[in-house]
Amino acid sequence: MLEERTRIDKAASVGNYLSLYFGQDQGVRLGESTVVSRKGHARMPEKRVKGQIKILLNRDAGKSYLDYVEADQVVHIDIYHRPGIIDPRMVAQAIFNAMDEYFLDKDPQLKYAEDERFKMVADYANKIYVVSKQGKGTIYDLFQGIVKPYTEGEEGWDHLHILARLNRDEYYMVYIIAEAAEGVILASGVKLSRVRNIIHGNQKQEQDSYAGYIKLPWKNFKGHHAQQLPDKENVNQLILKLAEKFGGVDEIEEFMESYSTNVFKRKGIEQQKKKWGDVEHDLEQLEELGLIKNTPFGKIMSKKGLELKEYVIKHKCELETEIRRNIRKTPSGGSSRFRKMGEITNKNSEVEFTNHNKTINDPDKNWSGDLAVPETILQAMKNSFFRGDDSLTIKKEDLHFYDKKSYVPIDVCLLMDASGSMAGDKRQAACFLAEHMLLTGKEKVAVVTFQERSSEVVVPFTRNQSVLNKGLATITPAGLTPMADGIVTAVNLIKESKVRNPLLVMITDGIPNTSLWTTDAKADAMEAAYRIPENDIRFICIGVESNRYYLEKLVERAKGALYLVDDLNKDNLINIIHNEKKTILDSKRQMA
Amino acid sequence: MIPFYKLQRYEGNAALFELVMMSIVSSYVGEPLHLHAEGLRGTGKTTIMRAAKGILPNITRIKGCIYNCDPEDPHCPHHKGMTEEEINRIGVEEIPMPFLEISHSAKVGTVVGSIDLAKLTDPARPEASMLPGLIPQAHRGILFVDEINRLADTSPEITDILLDVMGNKPGHIQIEEAGLPVVDIPVNVSIWAASNPDEDPGPLEEIRRQLSDRFDMVCYMGRPDSVDILAQMLEENSHRHKIKRNQEKRSQAENEAKDNEYRQKVIKWANTYNNTDLPDFLRNFIARLYIKHNIESIRAIEAMQQGAVLHSVISNRDKVMINDVTSMIPLVLKHRIDGDTLIRMVNDVESRGAREGILNFRGKKNKEKESEPEYFQHNARSLKDMSRNELVNTEKDLTPGEY
Ligand SMILES: [Zn+2]
Repeated sequence: MLEERTRIDKAASVGNYLSLYFGQDQGVRLGESTVVSRKGHARMPEKRVKGQIKILLNRDAGKSYLDYVEADQVVHIDIYHRPGIIDPRMVAQAIFNAMDEYFLDKDPQLKYAEDERFKMVADYANKIYVVSKQGKGTIYDLFQGIVKPYTEGEEGWDHLHILARLNRDEYYMVYIIAEAAEGVILASGVKLSRVRNIIHGNQKQEQDSYAGYIKLPWKNFKGHHAQQLPDKENVNQLILKLAEKFGGVDEIEEFMESYSTNVFKRKGIEQQKKKWGDVEHDLEQLEELGLIKNTPFGKIMSKKGLELKEYVIKHKCELETEIRRNIRKTPSGGSSRFRKMGEITNKNSEVEFTNHNKTINDPDKNWSGDLAVPETILQAMKNSFFRGDDSLTIKKEDLHFYDKKSYVPIDVCLLMDASGSMAGDKRQAACFLAEHMLLTGKEKVAVVTFQERSSEVVVPFTRNQSVLNKGLATITPAGLTPMADGIVTAVNLIKESKVRNPLLVMITDGIPNTSLWTTDAKADAMEAAYRIPENDIRFICIGVESNRYYLEKLVERAKGALYLVDDLNKDNLINIIHNEKKTILDSKRQMA
Repeated sequence: MIPFYKLQRYEGNAALFELVMMSIVSSYVGEPLHLHAEGLRGTGKTTIMRAAKGILPNITRIKGCIYNCDPEDPHCPHHKGMTEEEINRIGVEEIPMPFLEISHSAKVGTVVGSIDLAKLTDPARPEASMLPGLIPQAHRGILFVDEINRLADTSPEITDILLDVMGNKPGHIQIEEAGLPVVDIPVNVSIWAASNPDEDPGPLEEIRRQLSDRFDMVCYMGRPDSVDILAQMLEENSHRHKIKRNQEKRSQAENEAKDNEYRQKVIKWANTYNNTDLPDFLRNFIARLYIKHNIESIRAIEAMQQGAVLHSVISNRDKVMINDVTSMIPLVLKHRIDGDTLIRMVNDVESRGAREGILNFRGKKNKEKESEPEYFQHNARSLKDMSRNELVNTEKDLTPGEY
């Protein structure tokens, strides 16, 4: 009786705590081997401290594992254990029985209502899903021996992965489930792993530990053969890796200067993070490569680090070329995820030009355009010969004209949210997009930012790369989101500039919170959005799912389209722009 | 033009000098090797390639055959199927191995072939016949394309033709002209191309991936970075202008002698090449690289094999060594795989010296995983054994001191 009581008490207490912490968007360690939250969980192999589990705040468990549309519906219970054989059917049985027992303990009256009790348990059994390396399924299915096979690489190889659809007032059930599952693990002769601690954070794109495979020269310099190529390739690859993170050669230098002995050039870690995001991973890599070392005065560049800096300065030209080559690359479409809402119906003007590489000889067509004289004479001579003419004659069938090509120039103005939340990776991705567009297109690019209480033309419409880069370098995200101001500034810039088929691309991870005309920031941005179609500007907004409701209304007002992404990364951004440009070209083709 | 031997060699262009020699040797024996030199202005890529024209050996063709018919194996519409006797009656002649050039504004007719205007307008006996374009005329030699990225951008038609020519070894080309029979002939041409990836319209692989992949080897050119080299380059340039006439004559004779030396070498190397094969163990090595690193392009490993043998030959060896293969890796793969994979591959090969058994590919990765210390300690207590206040632990509880 005492034991039963404690189980009920323990479950109730766990239920209370969970609803408290889940409400604060936190997860917890339950006991020593179990992590519970409504998010995804991951090991942190990049950290030297082992045994940590990260709770991924940007990955809702229901959405990512079960394709739920709404967030916070599913509790995620991971019970870590030493890899071993755990039969999911046993787990299902144990949980099933534990639930049954629990209901009975709590309400002994249920003893006489077996049907009702079974219905209660079966109800939960359909809402709880178990994965072990030996198979998976709902408790209900597993209980009846229906096991779906485990797929390699799925969650579950070093832990029991349990998902339970529970309401707030049902969180006590987590304890019942975890205790029963632990029992099965131990009964299977498998030890429970100890989760040392938990950490909350966002899931990052998988970071590449390049220190593991890049090998720098300046190390085993035994004067061996002249085969210097691999060394050079290695250094180049390292620079490309760093450029991906920091932006360009100048930024890499700026970053490395932060670890120089010159105190005036050193940038604090917070300042670095604002600009480049999480720099710790790269710091670790550089340390591992021996380029940065720990001293009593903090981290500084080692001798090898200084040599790398020298190398970068000496080979700036070639390195910048390689970096630009990378920026031009079109990401493969497969990895990107976005959703488009709304259609745009702007008319576009085209530019026609003569293609001197190709001539057209089509007697059936009345052609107006540039006559290709040499080709025409050649054709006439040949045909005169075949026609049996006495002398050279030029007939209509001999005429050659230069081919005409046309394209739809699209000058793009990026309207970039530079509020505090955009710091780091998102800022870098937006800057990368601007550079990519300039390098891969023939059209002009402009950048307008909004932050704090106002907005600014950071880069006017240009085709000049250094103008663009200088402008981008000044962007330091901070403060609030004055969206209305940003829209007005961008519209005015487009109005004042000589642009063709202007496309305004707003990139934001938020919604307006600083007003322009009234005291209502959101209403002001709505008002500003009217000006976009009034000026015949094509508009797209790239935003995140959580702000969908507001942004959808905004683009409707602006007669534009909304692209929703799960992450504002550069692949997503570039693919969206490619998609949008393709839509414009396709619509042109359809009209033709 | 500065003769080939006088061109400055330095780290950033050394590979191109080797590749050019390799491709000449290979073309001479009838096996094209397509090269693409990419680099900024001032890296001398076009200079080196054009200067190679001066050191090309002679080839023998049926006299006057504009298609460069090999007397042993005639292929053109005029001489195909002729008997030895018939060919002897026409006679043979020696000409320098062809080196022709197409510009990025070239037109299809010029490149492929068109009606022969001279014959058509012959007042005595006008005749409609085909004049082969630059590609068929470059048969058994080299065709140089400067600014190939611009060509690929502005002329998809010519790009398609190049794809056909480079598709197989030998490639083929079809010459069509209304009113004349279609000519479809094999062509054995090494395509040499140059481009600046940093100028409009950007790197070839972004414009026409397929064409970029057809190049057996790509050489990324580096700029000269030593003061000595630059000074010598400057000196050579100014020297040429100030030289006196009689000295020039003497130096011309000297240049001719040097060029001739190269020619003799090419002929000698071509002989060795014909008699050298890749040893089985190296062929297996290449095959394993292909599988281990998931390389998609078969063309790439074919080029690696061809390149390794050629590299050993121009290094005056008659045996191919592992270094001949490894030095080909970046040249053959840099334009075909991503930088990370390339580096892993280069370092993988580098890190094990020949002595450590370079050919041993047994999964290093698996071993690492096994020996990796375990992520968790397996000493957790079960929930059952815990009191109520031990059950729920937050990040703050578990990370003392940091808050
Ligand atoms: Zn012939």
